[in-house]
Amino acid sequence: MTVKIVNLKLNGVDKAFMARPETTLLLGLREQLGMMGAKRGCAQGACGSCTVLLDGSPVVSCLVPAVTVDGSTVGTVEGLSDGQVLSDVQQAFLDGFATQCGFCTPGMIMSAEALLERNPDPTTEEVQEAISGNVCRCTGYEPIITAILDAAARRRGTTAATTPETDEGPPPTTAYESSEGMRADV
Amino acid sequence: MAKINEIDTEFFADERSSSFTVIGTPAQRSDALGHVTGKTEFFEDRAFPDLAHVKIHRSVHHHARIDSVDCSEALKVPGVLRVITHHDVPANWYLVLRLIGVEPHDEPVLAEDRVLYVGEPIVAVVADTEAAAIEGASRVKVSYTELPAVLDVEEALSPDAPVIKKDGTNYFVYEGHHARRIRFGDVEEGFAQADHVFEWRYSSAPIEHAPTETTGCIVVPQSGNRLLIHSNTQAAFFTLDNTALILDRPFTDLQVKGGTVGGGFGGKVDVIVEPLACIAATLTNRPVKFVYSREEEMQVSSPRAAERIYIKDGVMADGRIVARKVMLYVDSGAYSRHTPYGTTKAAAHLPGPYTIPNVHADCHCVYTNRTPSSAMRGFGVTIADFAIESQMDRIARALDIDPLELRLRNAYRDGDMKAHRKVASGTALIEVIQRAAALVGHDLPPEYLAMSSSTPREA
Amino acid sequence: MLTEVHVPDDLSEALRLVAGGARVLGGGTSLMPRLNDHASTPTELVSLRRVGLAGVRVDGSAVRIGATTTLAELEHDDRVAFLSPVVRSIASVPVRNLATVGGNLFAEQPYGDLTVALVALDARASVLDAAGRREEPVAALAGQHHGLVTELVLEVPAPSTFRYLKATRRRYNSASIVTVAAVVEQTDGVVSAARVALGGVGRQVVRATLVEAALLGQPLDEATVASAAQAGLGQLDPSDDAYASAWYRARVFPVHLRRALLGR
Repeated sequence: MTVKIVNLKLNGVDKAFMARPETTLLLGLREQLGMMGAKRGCAQGACGSCTVLLDGSPVVSCLVPAVTVDGSTVGTVEGLSDGQVLSDVQQAFLDGFATQCGFCTPGMIMSAEALLERNPDPTTEEVQEAISGNVCRCTGYEPIITAILDAAARRRGTTAATTPETDEGPPPTTAYESSEGMRADV
Repeated sequence: MAKINEIDTEFFADERSSSFTVIGTPAQRSDALGHVTGKTEFFEDRAFPDLAHVKIHRSVHHHARIDSVDCSEALKVPGVLRVITHHDVPANWYLVLRLIGVEPHDEPVLAEDRVLYVGEPIVAVVADTEAAAIEGASRVKVSYTELPAVLDVEEALSPDAPVIKKDGTNYFVYEGHHARRIRFGDVEEGFAQADHVFEWRYSSAPIEHAPTETTGCIVVPQSGNRLLIHSNTQAAFFTLDNTALILDRPFTDLQVKGGTVGGGFGGKVDVIVEPLACIAATLTNRPVKFVYSREEEMQVSSPRAAERIYIKDGVMADGRIVARKVMLYVDSGAYSRHTPYGTTKAAAHLPGPYTIPNVHADCHCVYTNRTPSSAMRGFGVTIADFAIESQMDRIARALDIDPLELRLRNAYRDGDMKAHRKVASGTALIEVIQRAAALVGHDLPPEYLAMSSSTPREA
Repeated sequence: MLTEVHVPDDLSEALRLVAGGARVLGGGTSLMPRLNDHASTPTELVSLRRVGLAGVRVDGSAVRIGATTTLAELEHDDRVAFLSPVVRSIASVPVRNLATVGGNLFAEQPYGDLTVALVALDARASVLDAAGRREEPVAALAGQHHGLVTELVLEVPAPSTFRYLKATRRRYNSASIVTVAAVVEQTDGVVSAARVALGGVGRQVVRATLVEAALLGQPLDEATVASAAQAGLGQLDPSDDAYASAWYRARVFPVHLRRALLGR
């Protein structure tokens, strides 16, 4: 068994790490380079939490033996922002409440970034297809899809179409606001 | 709106003002920036150069006696550091609900002389790499004598079913009884006076939460023999207390760092991975990770229990329900976990939000040779509700009564005595139905629109 | 357990490694899920990523697809647009960017929908081993694990003769319940030639010869397709899995055959 050096251009910076035969691109990024944005949700290519851009295209990095991509260019969620200004996709997810537990979010965002690079003005259905490999179990997909459409609008420089502002204050209360609660006493 | 709890500024002088203006206005989630930048730290998002890994050798049978366990081949795998069997677990038998006094402690951390479900952990293997741990776990040899399995809740309760539990019954014993019971009025008398009697059966399958992040933890030995547990548990103190009891060590030996959960939905309240990772970390004096593979998450993490529910109702021609008898069976799987509690919740939820003068319910927490079930989003209540409301719809259809009117006619009201001998208060079912009907354009007759939760029903 | 991953730069080195027992790794989307989580006998992999087999060449109606062309490359190649709906029915974007055309030939059912289409299209595979190069029908490759598929060769089907339909549990990213691919030619109002291949309904891709025979010489209408479906049932050997039961697959097969061939 040999350990090999893998060189990557990671988020624009030259990086190298040691890979065993079973080291996937995902585990190389996480365990060797400390880039924890991409997640391991299934190691089966089924959940999309590990989605990164490999030579510009989104891939499930859990299925890529690291030694096979020596010399490649890799983009991860950490490369999208300088910590001051977010990418349009990140900002749209933030503004559109498109996260809950956050575990699928980095992969979802990388799929969205790749879609908008290829298709600046996607339809809802094209967004659905683009994130069909990214599983979210909490927020539901609606706010995510809306956020991606919003990000597309932001990138094109047109007005964002989400998160209507309301000045109406709290919604009307019912006659039962002081109820002691309606839950079974268990 | 009046403040419900004023802050006592005498004691909390620096407390921020509580203007309660958030509801109805957009507010940024405090963790969302971390989520979109990938900086949110989940339990697995930390690297240790000397991290060791735990993988499990699991039962391949639903029910079997273990004749022998041979770990010698596992120990020959390069990189394997230790194997852990039940002999290495200081207090092997536990029940997560022991913290609130529930007994018996019916589940072993690692199987001893028998296995009760496919996937039950028998041996844990600790290795330098995940691959070596997987390889090691696969090389453990267990020889079994297969035993007859019970896979159905009603079969499990039949007199000739094999008893699979060491405590002697295939059901959880509630204060000396075979089920969590409700006895209110006399249902047989109710059925006798009823114009119609309807009885139907409802059932549900187990449901897996399938969180995107699988269950796991990393345990890091600290100075002074303490253990730091990075966990994605939904219940940090359940984990801390149960782990300490299993390790037979003071609670103060452990620190749980968690709260960031990549999806839980009730699937991360059982204490399964942490005790073994703590034992592995102690035995190797190295940081240890134990995280489920996706297959393990689907196969052995506790699902929502399957349930089978029979509801028999005595109903008058005008739709008043005068008797309701419920026989409810919750499939706990091989071990208790949170299901005795879930079954009690089901009992607490019966007979639904309706005032019924005669109620009889037996809610059984049944053991079978299936994956142990546990908590999930309203467990106990959700499936009971599915059954109760399906029953209401079927009665309405059978009697040709509008389904909302049937519910309004039977809805509980403030002051009603519930089957649990509690006086109903703060009820709002009538108003909720009236509002829902209005919103969907479902016309209700004037006498139903005039109903109110605060007006006592006519006798 | 993975013991080595070779990434040779040329085909002859790859061939030598395969002859030595190494397993071929295309995109890894079938092989890696297994290797990531399960013990295995000592396994060496030979990745074809750098051997130069990727790319699509079109010369008139002749199409040559390199074995390591990714499904995504095929999806976006306008010259083979008839294959785009096939590819888009397979897995998801980040999987299609890895998965290769050659790998799809060896995907286990109910996966491998491109292969279903390739069988219907009468594609041939160029296979290289120590004995040299040979060409074999794609349909004959099932279960073979010696030699290296380097290229697929097929003809662009005549306009509106190629039909493809994949019934799934959800619109995107689902394995097959029933996949139907067919090339049907009609002359003088009757079917004059038919090649029908099925996925999801057998241990391997099924060449539905009984369906073909029932179509030949008949008008392509509901009655013909219904009786062809009945004839075809005898060739199905579906499995139970998480996507559908064997019973369900057989039960809905006539519906999907009709939708594939008649569009309704």
